[in-house]
Amino acid sequence: MQTYIATFFSHFGAIRFGKQLKEMGLSGKLMPVPRRVSSSCGTCVKFQAESDTAIHSDDLEQLFLVNGEELTMLRSNI
Amino acid sequence: MKEKRNLLIGGGIVGAIAVALVMLGNPKNMGFCIACFIRDIAGGVGMHGAAIVQYVRPEVIGLVCGAFIVALIKKDFAPRGGSSPLTRFILGFGVMVGALIFLGCPLRMALRIAGGDLNAVVGLAGFIVGILVGIFFLKKGFSLGRAYKQNQLEGVAMTGINVALLVILVAFPSLLLFSESGPGSMRADMWIALLAGLVVGAIAQRTRLCMVGGLRDVVLFKDWTLVCGFIAIIVICAIGNIATGNFHLGFTQGLNEAGEVIAQPVAHTQHLWNFLGMTVVGLGSVLLGGCPLRQLILAGEGNSDSAIAVLGMFVGAAFCHNFKLASSGAGTTPNGRIACIVMLVVMLGIAAYNTKKSKA
Repeated sequence: MQTYIATFFSHFGAIRFGKQLKEMGLSGKLMPVPRRVSSSCGTCVKFQAESDTAIHSDDLEQLFLVNGEELTMLRSNI
Repeated sequence: MKEKRNLLIGGGIVGAIAVALVMLGNPKNMGFCIACFIRDIAGGVGMHGAAIVQYVRPEVIGLVCGAFIVALIKKDFAPRGGSSPLTRFILGFGVMVGALIFLGCPLRMALRIAGGDLNAVVGLAGFIVGILVGIFFLKKGFSLGRAYKQNQLEGVAMTGINVALLVILVAFPSLLLFSESGPGSMRADMWIALLAGLVVGAIAQRTRLCMVGGLRDVVLFKDWTLVCGFIAIIVICAIGNIATGNFHLGFTQGLNEAGEVIAQPVAHTQHLWNFLGMTVVGLGSVLLGGCPLRQLILAGEGNSDSAIAVLGMFVGAAFCHNFKLASSGAGTTPNGRIACIVMLVVMLGIAAYNTKKSKA
């Protein structure tokens, strides 16, 4: 299992993604975007999955792989 | 934990600087007030004719430039924009109307609470209600649409405007208006005010200090990180006010020797309008994604949507004085009360229209 953080263009995008994860049998936690991820203060979803290949959302801004304190950006739609 | 610690320290420094600015000449409980200072700037450049509130406040220039410089150094500078700019202008306008009915932005509300002004506690209640209404729409799907990457010039434009204002203030002050009495005439030394703005701008950029965001995160996520800054400001500023004799608990400061009521500094006691004014500010700020301070900081970071919101506040401030919407120590005005209700309705309309109808 890997841990990911996904940021979104809107708060609603994050809510919708959280529900999408639930439908996929995964659990995600909505939380404020951590400072080390971005200087903006939106909503992100932290979740665990085997891989990110099935992860899709029109509202997805950026997707990070979390490894302890380290973050690796996997995708960016900015 | 580290984020929380930084916010506690950052908020504490902001609270201390606010106390220092009052000691150095700013109006009481107004070490910082984004709404009042943008209003003063609008007066300083002749956008309105209220002679007592005209001064190009270096604090605001410092806030934008401080955020810009730190964002540049820390690689947070990112020109973004295009998320419903005109809607944001209107929301910024409305936030200013609400703030000038109450007499303060959320930051000054915190500073007024720290000065013992209970009218600001009434404001806080209204502010929280406004935030809750905003959160209701956020949960239902409210969004002003995504922002897009912009070019460097677009990102740096707001900082450029502020640098230009500073150049005029320093080199060509005769072009500007300066209050000779009233709050606009009460000011700390220009360079100290600029430095204070730069420091607070840098702190706010690093910590994402935001009066609205903190309460929003508590309600939405039970996350107390961001609100730590808000609490630290109040605690440190209150301690500073007590130490400097500027703490007076009550809706007024009691009676003077002649038996007249001494009002709290730049405040009125009309509870309903203190409440509703801040409801408008809370709702508008949630829809904008941050309080007026945060809009200035984001504008410095290159967010042109926030820059537009700031311009909305600037024009809103001019309208508030030209059309007698702004309150004074004597209370609200009939025009102001109407405008407050109108802006509340407009904001609810904007919120409803931009809330997605499809289910998640």
